[in-house]
Amino acid sequence: MKAKLMMVALLVGSVLCVLALSGCKKSAAVVKPDEAFGAYDTEPDWNDSTKLIKLGYQESQGKRVFYQYCVWCHADSTPAGPSNRGNVTPMPPLMNEGEKLNGESDEYMQNIITLGGSALGKSAMMPPYGKTLSSEEIKAVIAFTRAIAQPAYQKPGRPGSQYTTK
Amino acid sequence: MPAEEMGKLTEKMRLTFAVSTVICVLVLAISPVKDFRSEWKQYKRSFVRYAQGRPDTKKLLADYSPNIDQVWLPGMNVTDRCTTCHQGITQASLADPAVPQPFRAHPTIPHNVRDWGCTVCHRGQGPSTEVAEAHETTLAWEQPILPAHFLQASCGSCHQADLKETPQLARGRELLTRLNCQGCHKLNNLDRPMLGPDLSSIGYKVSREWIYKWLKEPRTILDKDGNVTVNGVENEDETRMPKFRLKEEEIKALSGFLSAQKAKPLEAYKINQAVAATWSKRPDLISEGEVRFRQMMCTTCHPVAVTRGGETKLIGGDIGPELTKVGSKVKQEWLVAWLRNPQGYLAHNNMPRYGWTDEDLYKVSQYVMNNLTDSDLLTNVPQLGAPTDEEVTTGKRLFTEKGCASCHSLNGIGTQKEFGPDLTALGAKNASELEFGKAKIERNLVSYIQAKLQDPMAVNPAARMPQYSWNKADLDAVTTALLSETGPAPTSALHHLVVPKKEASFQVVGAFTEVYERYKCYACHRFNGYGGTLAPDLSYEGSRAQKKWIADFLKNPQTIRPALILRMPQFNMADKDAAIAAEYLSMAVQKPDVNPESVDARQFSPAMASMGKQLYEVKFQCQSCHTIGGTGGYVGPNLNNAGNWLTPAWIEAWLRDPQALQPDTIESRRNFTDEEIRALTAYLMTLRTGSKPAGSKSAANTHAIAQGAGR
Repeated sequence: MKAKLMMVALLVGSVLCVLALSGCKKSAAVVKPDEAFGAYDTEPDWNDSTKLIKLGYQESQGKRVFYQYCVWCHADSTPAGPSNRGNVTPMPPLMNEGEKLNGESDEYMQNIITLGGSALGKSAMMPPYGKTLSSEEIKAVIAFTRAIAQPAYQKPGRPGSQYTTK
Repeated sequence: MPAEEMGKLTEKMRLTFAVSTVICVLVLAISPVKDFRSEWKQYKRSFVRYAQGRPDTKKLLADYSPNIDQVWLPGMNVTDRCTTCHQGITQASLADPAVPQPFRAHPTIPHNVRDWGCTVCHRGQGPSTEVAEAHETTLAWEQPILPAHFLQASCGSCHQADLKETPQLARGRELLTRLNCQGCHKLNNLDRPMLGPDLSSIGYKVSREWIYKWLKEPRTILDKDGNVTVNGVENEDETRMPKFRLKEEEIKALSGFLSAQKAKPLEAYKINQAVAATWSKRPDLISEGEVRFRQMMCTTCHPVAVTRGGETKLIGGDIGPELTKVGSKVKQEWLVAWLRNPQGYLAHNNMPRYGWTDEDLYKVSQYVMNNLTDSDLLTNVPQLGAPTDEEVTTGKRLFTEKGCASCHSLNGIGTQKEFGPDLTALGAKNASELEFGKAKIERNLVSYIQAKLQDPMAVNPAARMPQYSWNKADLDAVTTALLSETGPAPTSALHHLVVPKKEASFQVVGAFTEVYERYKCYACHRFNGYGGTLAPDLSYEGSRAQKKWIADFLKNPQTIRPALILRMPQFNMADKDAAIAAEYLSMAVQKPDVNPESVDARQFSPAMASMGKQLYEVKFQCQSCHTIGGTGGYVGPNLNNAGNWLTPAWIEAWLRDPQALQPDTIESRRNFTDEEIRALTAYLMTLRTGSKPAGSKSAANTHAIAQGAGR
């Protein structure tokens, strides 16, 4: 009798506990924003326009800077139609050309955009943009380049390894 | 119970006490356990574990406290506890997308989170420490997190002028203006509405059958799949006239009413008989008309559809209406009268008054009436004949009832104000304030706005709003702009944060006023922030260009910017008008600190010029963007005639800091020395069409020599 009552009491107590505890977890489900609306912005894959690449805030600012300043020589078509790429020798890389650009470190990209090609022993046809764009804008362009790269860009595993001399 | 047993504990009572003690302890334990297991504490602990697994543990946990973090800004009515879980938002090392949420760093934005909080931009319930309550719609809180894709709406709530960082918002506002949404709805922060054309004399312009077709289906440029394709993108820039859902008899009545509108007779113009007679014998007339149509650059403002390989594209500017089938639309006598004096038919419109010769007028109007046509356009339209009195009366009533008067003015019928709902606070509406009807969509504001825009009747079967067709990007842009309409200020405490838009205006005086109005310079060019954006900003034209060049250019525009498809039209401008414009622009439209007289070109020596040539071609390789003598790029303007075009003062100021003269120019600002600037200016001033550029060696040769010398 005694044991039986004890059991019942414990049971009631634990049920109460469980109920009370689960009460605070009522609908704390994972937030799932609408797939299409979750991305700040998108850019079609240049090699396959049916695929959309999602861009974050910084990458989307890079997209804006790219389409104002860089697109003229670093893409095959421009908002005005023809591209100036063919008029420039050596021909500048396309901004999504992963094979050429994925191997370059962020620091190198930042330098060549800021200081221009001639400062790094490359073509003087690449002008310096350090006094025209802020360093934030240049970082954003690099982030955009990384986002649209084909083949996809992989961040270097160990920081430090990216600072090897070219 | 016997008296002797009073005060003694029976076995039964002992048991009861024991059990209730256990229950009591358990119940008391609930609270601390609950607290320990609360969501925010779990995130706190998991952040510590996450930080400990990284090399920069010490830095990440420098400000750590086990309590609730919050940004409290009483002045802005902000109490945001978001940072309790989003603990890494200010840690630069957590910016990588691989860092799991909620610990990732916030991207660098112009506002500091400590000064602004989170919910001012992201919305959601700031004081909450539960994931669902903070982000989603709950019974007590109806403003959920704004999806990232529409975040620019929050910028627009305070910034009434467009920012360069918010292109989606700017596009949305542009569309709201272009489509004249203000014709029916009240909206904030938008530019002057662009109304549809005045219809007071429409009966002289088009036939009743054409009006019938237009009311039934205003989109007539379709490709083989039945899609509207503009510049390669479906549905991007279609007609501003939306599709109204009108019944057959309503269309008949409206077309009858409109075709009877003949308020102001046309200024009839008879082309010289001799000209017409000569040209009507010529079979090559039509192609000559096409040549003149192209030379006069009509497509700078008017798009025309071109079909290549089964794909139809509209090519040209978007200031004037599309002209692909205009020959099947307008009457010939109207076209001739219109081309001669557009303001004679519509007092306020941006079409310039060209100086037509009879020959050009005949050729171009013949080309338009014969070639820009579509024989199938009116095939499915019944022959309607003259309208009956009843049709005209019904049409007049429908003109007001259907909202036509919101965009079109017509003699005797005033424009309607607030025909549709006020949308100035739409962006701040709670889901419970919206009527979803039977629409099968998510019950939130974004879904509501998008459903309503795409198909107004899906949400409200009785909607009067016409049918627009949007592509995805434009739909999202307009949604963003509407979400930014959050009433007077996002919260009343934020009222002082609103950054108002500067009202731009530009007044001209004297003899130039008439020239400016006749050629509608402001339709394409911008002056001190006022005017169109299609063509270069002319706010500092007097500092930039030489007076003689301006006059010559106005009389016969040359290509300066090869990358542009759209060009300055050939106005056939009279010498007198060109002289007045050149005088005014060069004297009155200057940048104060760039006085065109301040640098004298006579000081430049041939040695300086040849040094400048070296710098241009070898050191700075300006030819990547600029063309001289047929070689070079076409990003920047062609410099073949720079010596006749630009003032030396402008070239020097430009080389020093291009963005100071034109903030959005893509030319980069460089570290030129004063000597280099002088030399480059000297070189550019030697470039004149008709004369040889300085230095006679071939460019390739000089290049090779300099490369050798440089090593």
